[in-house]
Amino acid sequence: MSTTTTADLVALLEASGLAGRGGAAFSTAVKVRAAHEHGAALIVNACDGEVGAVKDAHVVAHHLDALVQGARLVTAGRRRRSVRFAAHRGSATAEALHRAGLDVLDVPDRYVSSEETSLISLAGGGLARPMTKRRPFVTGGRDQTGRRVPATVVLNAETVWRIAQVAEHGPAWFRSFGTPEEPGPRLVALTGAVDRPGVLETEAGTPLADLLDAARPVRGWQHVVVGGLGGVLLAADDARAVRWTGADLARHGGSLGPGVVDVLDPGRCPLATVSSFLLYAAGETAGQCGPCMFGVPSVAEAWRRLVETPSRQGIDEVRAAAGLLPGRGACRFPDAVGRFAASALRVLEPHLAAHASGSCPTGRSRDRVRHP
Amino acid sequence: MNEALWYLSRATGVASIVLLTAVVVLGALVSGRRRPHGDQATVVMAVHRWISLGIVAFLLTHVATAIAETYVSIDWISALVPFTSGYETLWVGLGTLAVDVLVAVVVTSWWRHRIPERAWRAVHYAAYLLWPMALVHGLVLGTADEALLLGTTVLCGLVGVGAVLWRLLARPHHDRARRDVVLDQEWA
Repeated sequence: MSTTTTADLVALLEASGLAGRGGAAFSTAVKVRAAHEHGAALIVNACDGEVGAVKDAHVVAHHLDALVQGARLVTAGRRRRSVRFAAHRGSATAEALHRAGLDVLDVPDRYVSSEETSLISLAGGGLARPMTKRRPFVTGGRDQTGRRVPATVVLNAETVWRIAQVAEHGPAWFRSFGTPEEPGPRLVALTGAVDRPGVLETEAGTPLADLLDAARPVRGWQHVVVGGLGGVLLAADDARAVRWTGADLARHGGSLGPGVVDVLDPGRCPLATVSSFLLYAAGETAGQCGPCMFGVPSVAEAWRRLVETPSRQGIDEVRAAAGLLPGRGACRFPDAVGRFAASALRVLEPHLAAHASGSCPTGRSRDRVRHP
Repeated sequence: MNEALWYLSRATGVASIVLLTAVVVLGALVSGRRRPHGDQATVVMAVHRWISLGIVAFLLTHVATAIAETYVSIDWISALVPFTSGYETLWVGLGTLAVDVLVAVVVTSWWRHRIPERAWRAVHYAAYLLWPMALVHGLVLGTADEALLLGTTVLCGLVGVGAVLWRLLARPHHDRARRDVVLDQEWA
């Protein structure tokens, strides 16, 4: 398929139904077509920006040739368009990309720095902080200060690898995996309190219980975070009942996201673990929008107070603070933290009740709060 | 008739500097870190805007009468182009420059919703030059020998400087402070 034209590629991607694997699950065909029409530069996002994510590293470590081939397919055409590979500075992924002689965009190891518009800003010589999207940057645009931003498309590393696979094996092969809504093979990182952490090649529709069994969670595990900070907390029973599909996870407020399943350590109070997540989030603000600068820390603080002295009023305070976050920032970071906190509140209600009556089910009510 | 024009020119000049000072004070109020909020802010902002536009009427009269009266020779050109007046080239020119800057500030504010925010802001900062220019122009040319008018101009100067200091010396707003702390972290 070396003679694939861009129009062919877009048709193949459309037929395959490939959607972005970075978390937003946006149609890759639409992005690739727009990128071609506007002569957009390509940034391959291999940052593994989500908490617990390692699948971009997996793609770079094991499928680098196919990844580079996929990037070449996206930027093929008469106009020369640059390709850069974004990875956290100093990470093994960045080193592997440097060793392969690729044009690497070294990204500071910050949560919001691997966000799409942050990468575009950094590539243009700016800071790796999210920009306001007046229109998609694939068409080019301007940043907050009015500086011109060249047309740029950002695709997740797994997505670019899948593009190469679709071009090589065809849409029918691709659709033989997964569900009609979420077709194709996909990677899931299993991490946390498991005996066999790592990246699994799986597909939508697989019972989450199967994925968990493959990773062998430690005995007595009770909670799992699906999708990191951008995801939700699930109780073990719920986790065992859902299939790995967007629809099933949506019932719990979640999504497939960037494919991260993080089993929480059952020996540690989950309230403290969630506190760690939220405090980490509070420290990762880009310092640009109110909901991120003040809203996220206020959710973390409300949660900390709730853990210290569990009460109905404390629960209401967390819920109120989390409810103020969605839809207000330049990026979706505050939305994600609000969703995560709300899910933790729902799932840990029995645990909070136990704390209120004076005991922690894990027997570890004085657990120190650590950063994830 | 000539005398009336001369008096009118002086009077509108003094009125302009008083109004201009009021605009500077209100501007310092609405722009600083201690700016008012809610209804208060709306009122202060509206007064700031409408006085600015009102000044234009006084200034037009001031300039027109200064040209029309014949005690000193100032022509139409020097009303628009700074430092071309035969009479007190430097001090009249300062007034002309102030008028030109004011026109730029008013025009960019009128078109604020159609031009980049930073362009509007850059021009608006020029108001901090405009005001002292107008003040010096007034001090040197007009009121040097009349205690009441001299006092008015000096008082305007003191009040304006006070307002600007009040803006500058405000402690950092917690929003600004947090932005600066985060910006100091590693972002590139």
